[in-house]
Amino acid sequence: MRESTREYRFDWMLWSILENASRSTDGTPKEYRSLLDLVPHFSEVLDTFVRQGEPGLRFLRLIARYADMCSSANERGKLAALTTFCMATPILHAFDVVPVMLEALTVLGTVVLKRGTSEYLDYCCEVGFTETSCSAQRGSLGAFLAGGAVRPDFVVCDTPGICDTNANSFAFASAFLDVPFFQINYPPTLTDERARAYHRADFASLVSFLEERTGKRLDEERLMEVMRELARQDALASELIDLMRIRPCPVPGIYDLMLYGGRFMMSGTREYTELLESMLEVARENARLKRSGTRTGVERARGLFCYIDHYTTDARFWDWMETNEVSHLGSILFTFWNADAPYARGREEQGYTLDCSSLDAALDSLCDQMSRMPMIKQIRGPYDAPGMWLDDVLAEARLLQADFVAYIGSMGCRNSWGMNKLLVRDLERQGIPAVILFADAFDDRVASWETVTERLSEFLTVRGIIS
Amino acid sequence: MIETLRKAARSIGNPSLQAWNEGGGKVLGYPCTFVPEEIIDAAGILPYRLRGITAGTMSIGDAYFGPVICSFPKCILQLAGQGSYGFLDGAVVVNGCDSMRRLHECWRKASEDIPGTLPGFFHYMGVPHKATDYSIEWFKEELGILARSISDHFGTPVTTDSLRRSIRLFNEIRSLLSELDEMRMSETCPVTGSDAASIVLAGFAMPREEYRETLGKVMARLRKSKPVSDGKVRLMVVGSASDDADFVELVESTGAIVVSDCMCFGARSFLKRVDEDADPIEALAERYLGGNLCPRMFGWYKDRLAFVRDRALRSRVDGVILQNIRFCDLHGSENGLLERDLEAEGIPCMRIEREYGPLVETGRIKMRLDAFMERIRTVGGRRS
Ligand code: SF4
Ligand code: SF4
Repeated sequence: MRESTREYRFDWMLWSILENASRSTDGTPKEYRSLLDLVPHFSEVLDTFVRQGEPGLRFLRLIARYADMCSSANERGKLAALTTFCMATPILHAFDVVPVMLEALTVLGTVVLKRGTSEYLDYCCEVGFTETSCSAQRGSLGAFLAGGAVRPDFVVCDTPGICDTNANSFAFASAFLDVPFFQINYPPTLTDERARAYHRADFASLVSFLEERTGKRLDEERLMEVMRELARQDALASELIDLMRIRPCPVPGIYDLMLYGGRFMMSGTREYTELLESMLEVARENARLKRSGTRTGVERARGLFCYIDHYTTDARFWDWMETNEVSHLGSILFTFWNADAPYARGREEQGYTLDCSSLDAALDSLCDQMSRMPMIKQIRGPYDAPGMWLDDVLAEARLLQADFVAYIGSMGCRNSWGMNKLLVRDLERQGIPAVILFADAFDDRVASWETVTERLSEFLTVRGIIS
Repeated sequence: MIETLRKAARSIGNPSLQAWNEGGGKVLGYPCTFVPEEIIDAAGILPYRLRGITAGTMSIGDAYFGPVICSFPKCILQLAGQGSYGFLDGAVVVNGCDSMRRLHECWRKASEDIPGTLPGFFHYMGVPHKATDYSIEWFKEELGILARSISDHFGTPVTTDSLRRSIRLFNEIRSLLSELDEMRMSETCPVTGSDAASIVLAGFAMPREEYRETLGKVMARLRKSKPVSDGKVRLMVVGSASDDADFVELVESTGAIVVSDCMCFGARSFLKRVDEDADPIEALAERYLGGNLCPRMFGWYKDRLAFVRDRALRSRVDGVILQNIRFCDLHGSENGLLERDLEAEGIPCMRIEREYGPLVETGRIKMRLDAFMERIRTVGGRRS
């Protein structure tokens, strides 16, 4: 890692960039335009959000606050848990623990930093981690291993049984940094009584671990407050997804990132609720005007991303979708599986319902929620088992009337690369054009963004999806 | 005697397996040491550890698995797809790791295109990644389900008595192999690493009663044998699944002798015995899930480091080879930690990433081995 990179803390850098970005429109529009010339490395990504108006600015403020929470945790005397995006955070908030999410920080670094996260990715390998491991964790893990980010007090992850590569990154971090480790471990099934009993025993053991590490009892009031907010957020997200069913889709493509990014980092907060409300306002208005959420208001095609998005530097993925008038119908990260979500209709038993009637009921429902987080639900068992990846992608593709389905992932993802060929084949057999994009969502060096878009454009043209 | 074991270790089939088959005996394949062989044996079925050796191409493996997957399960799929596993009556797939668990789907889908390549009995078993009271309970239930499924499908009941008999048989084998392990680690090691690997590997593919007899005889001879380790650099091999006696032979061709290992086709498979007095399923669950020697059991690095360090010291090795199959992040990254910690204690390490068995790039590996040997010979081996 270069000396110059080591000089600044990764999390602090993110915070300072995002904090400044969130204030960039405090002045006049003219001042904002002049500012863009002064920050050539950040102008594109900044404008991607700013041109969304109120929701874009709210999102910038939200992620700036998250970056601040993470980077200043030690100074504020808060305990920090190194954790993963598929860990539902209310339980951590109930213990006043800051969830420092590797994948979320990797995405922020990839999208915002001039050189992406390549140096952090590579630093992991310098200290012994495998280069074939998932870049979603490596992209920020390198900073933690180099001592260039907040020092975690412990590691909590819930990916064993779901994604070993992910879990392995956290186990490595715990061993390397010599901090305690706790894992939630999922069985291959979801809705049967055995799986439910296992989930609950595991969740109870997480609560005990947190009690032990923090030396505190769970803050019931705080927990209920977060859960009530979360329930409101579920309802808002459901309405947004319902609107996406309309042709043309009135929801701007970048809302996908804002919906799940906000949820991972700041679920249960008032700020996230307000973000969703502002997003809904725009989407409702577009729907009323029968406008698409793309920049031109026109929709040429509707695409569903069956795994994750591509987080290329400067957020060019969403820009490409907008420019090409392709509506983004979300990805697996979009679905949190509250039982009343549009995609859960008819499959309610696979969803969760938040119940704040008592502490036990709240904990049980949080446990249900966590076991249905994106990825945790879909890839725990065989991809074609009931309620798993194939079922979910098919249901969403039909619900949202997708014209095509595309797979983008990380090259370290053994799980999805172990079955994506089979998934795509099955989708094609069901009449849904589907494509695997050979690229790494967090590392442009595997395949440049230009290569990816060329491949995607070729697919869309050859298959007659856009002419 | 040892020739029989050498042959069985280096091919998919072997004469004893064939005779078993011809006599109407059933065979059930499994890919990972988290599957208790005793349950299969208790049903009168031969437990056969799936391997990928002899796969000369990946045309079938690559058609279903993606490109960034460990070549071990890919080679297994390749062999299954080309009919080399025609002798299997069943298979159990587990979520050892992500690459391994997807063998379940890839094999099923391949058999839709190449009919007849999926055994009649095909079972998926979920193995937790931690050993707690509730995860062992879950695993116990999984074992019960496996036992019942085998009984129902093959019509051969798995009873408490048959389980106890199998546990005794496998424990006897474990005792003999543990004795072999101690012999190898001693100053007067009487067997090369490649022969030791053959002895262990044959035990995954032969009818076990017969294997126990042969192993007993081999051990009787080894007890009287002269040391073969004199003047050689003593090495230990650690890491990903390696069922390749040729790989060990390659290591030993540089003037070394492999006297110890920490791999699931080696010592990790036989070191812990099953409690013969407890309830059999409970004892099996404790033994198979209770161990944490595979990095799939996340969070137990310190225990594994202690285990490897202890074996390295006891076997007085001059160096440790930390190998992993490409895309095996579990072993690959743990090897990074082991390298840091063992080197800090003065134990020279060589970390290498390779392809699985038949795909090993011998030239490149030989070059690395030569350099490692040179380091040990010039700078010195372990500093005690
Ligand atoms: S390395 Fe571990 S998970 Fe992989 S096959 Fe061996 S025992 Fe199973
Ligand atoms: S060697 Fe590693 S990646 Fe390959 S099957 Fe075993 S644990 Fe999985």
